[in-house]
Amino acid sequence: MITTVRANVLRFILLVLLQALVIDHIDLAHGWIVPYIYVLFILLLPFDTPDWATLLLGFLVGMAMDMFTSTPGMHASACVVMAFARILMLRALVPREGYDPEKRPIIQHMGLAWFTTYAGVLILVHHLWLFFVEVYRFDDLFSTFLRALMSAIATFILCLLAQALLSRDIRTR
Amino acid sequence: MRDLFRFLFRQRNNLLFLALMGISMSLLIGGNMHQRAQAISSSNSVIGQIYTWRHDLTEFTDLRAVNQQLAQELAEERTRNHASTNDTGKVTLHVDSAREEAYKFITAQVINSTAHKERNYLTLDRGTLDGIHQDLGVVGMNGIVGVVRDASPHFALVTSILGNEIEYSVELSRTKHYGLLKWDTGDPATASMVDVAKYVQVHVGDPVVTRGGDHVFPAGFPVGTVIAVHDDPGSNFHSITLKLAEDLTRSGYVHIVFDLLGSERDSLQARSVQP
Repeated sequence: MITTVRANVLRFILLVLLQALVIDHIDLAHGWIVPYIYVLFILLLPFDTPDWATLLLGFLVGMAMDMFTSTPGMHASACVVMAFARILMLRALVPREGYDPEKRPIIQHMGLAWFTTYAGVLILVHHLWLFFVEVYRFDDLFSTFLRALMSAIATFILCLLAQALLSRDIRTR
Repeated sequence: MRDLFRFLFRQRNNLLFLALMGISMSLLIGGNMHQRAQAISSSNSVIGQIYTWRHDLTEFTDLRAVNQQLAQELAEERTRNHASTNDTGKVTLHVDSAREEAYKFITAQVINSTAHKERNYLTLDRGTLDGIHQDLGVVGMNGIVGVVRDASPHFALVTSILGNEIEYSVELSRTKHYGLLKWDTGDPATASMVDVAKYVQVHVGDPVVTRGGDHVFPAGFPVGTVIAVHDDPGSNFHSITLKLAEDLTRSGYVHIVFDLLGSERDSLQARSVQP
């Protein structure tokens, strides 16, 4: 329990700093691709996280991001939407025997297909909300949609890379 | 009553969701104009400190470019000085003291900036202790950069011209026709100038400068040059694309502009409005 909390606190800090200090300063394709890797924090919360905690932690990680990017409420709202979507997604994707408390929402435990559905949908929800709130207008719907979609794909690839690099399960076995 | 509590308890997650959503939406809508937004922005001292550390780490990577910029600016300044003494011959240049003191510039270092998002901000290492406050103009070595949005004791947050929050009053320096600078190109190197009527002859290569008189930038400060003029038959206005004079994808030094005569101009305008 304590290890889980500590791991998640660490992940919170590292992902927010990684996002604010490194990823935000990389300009891919002139602003067409802006990955937001920090959402991995919400994706990797344990299965048995209570719903209220998911919502609250989502709000907090969004607020932390907003402090760095000086956009009050933008990341926070996107993360709350994403946290809510995660609660619904976990309910929709529950295996027949329920979630194994030993397992975590990562590829090594749940498989690539499960993770792709889970992370893909949630990242897309987050990015669509964020990009539409960011432009604050609906006059070029299609280009905003395309930006969100391309950035979501980039974020997803980064999430896969992060898991491949950081997973202890691979290294020990 | 107990049913109500049971209902609230059952709905607690939905209610929490609505509450958190309400908080973030109110920040989103009211936060940009409000003072409390300072706590949630990079002029916050903790975030500013973290950005300073990052800047200290990465600063040396663009020292060469910064040096070049400074050297070039020095050369230009020398040329300008030389030209002005030549103009007046050997006589000591007499400058109207009011004119000379119209603007004050303070140097600041950019410790964090973005250029590829929909709205971009810069964090500077100067704050209210140096007299920085909201709505001061910020210019770079070559052109305008943005406007101070918020300041804490040691840091200032600047709304970059690469954003959709502010439209700047600019003019074509050749014809003196004015229009608005808008960033709708999505490209950090270019911007648009709108509201220039079609009868105005605009040529590629025309310089565009600030119009002044808005408390923010001095008049005639470079903004960019025209690189394309598209004429939509359905509109009475040109749509002009500019290449921005300042490269906002690079950090380095900027100047914060103090308009020393701004309040005087304001009170005159206010007086003339009254009957």
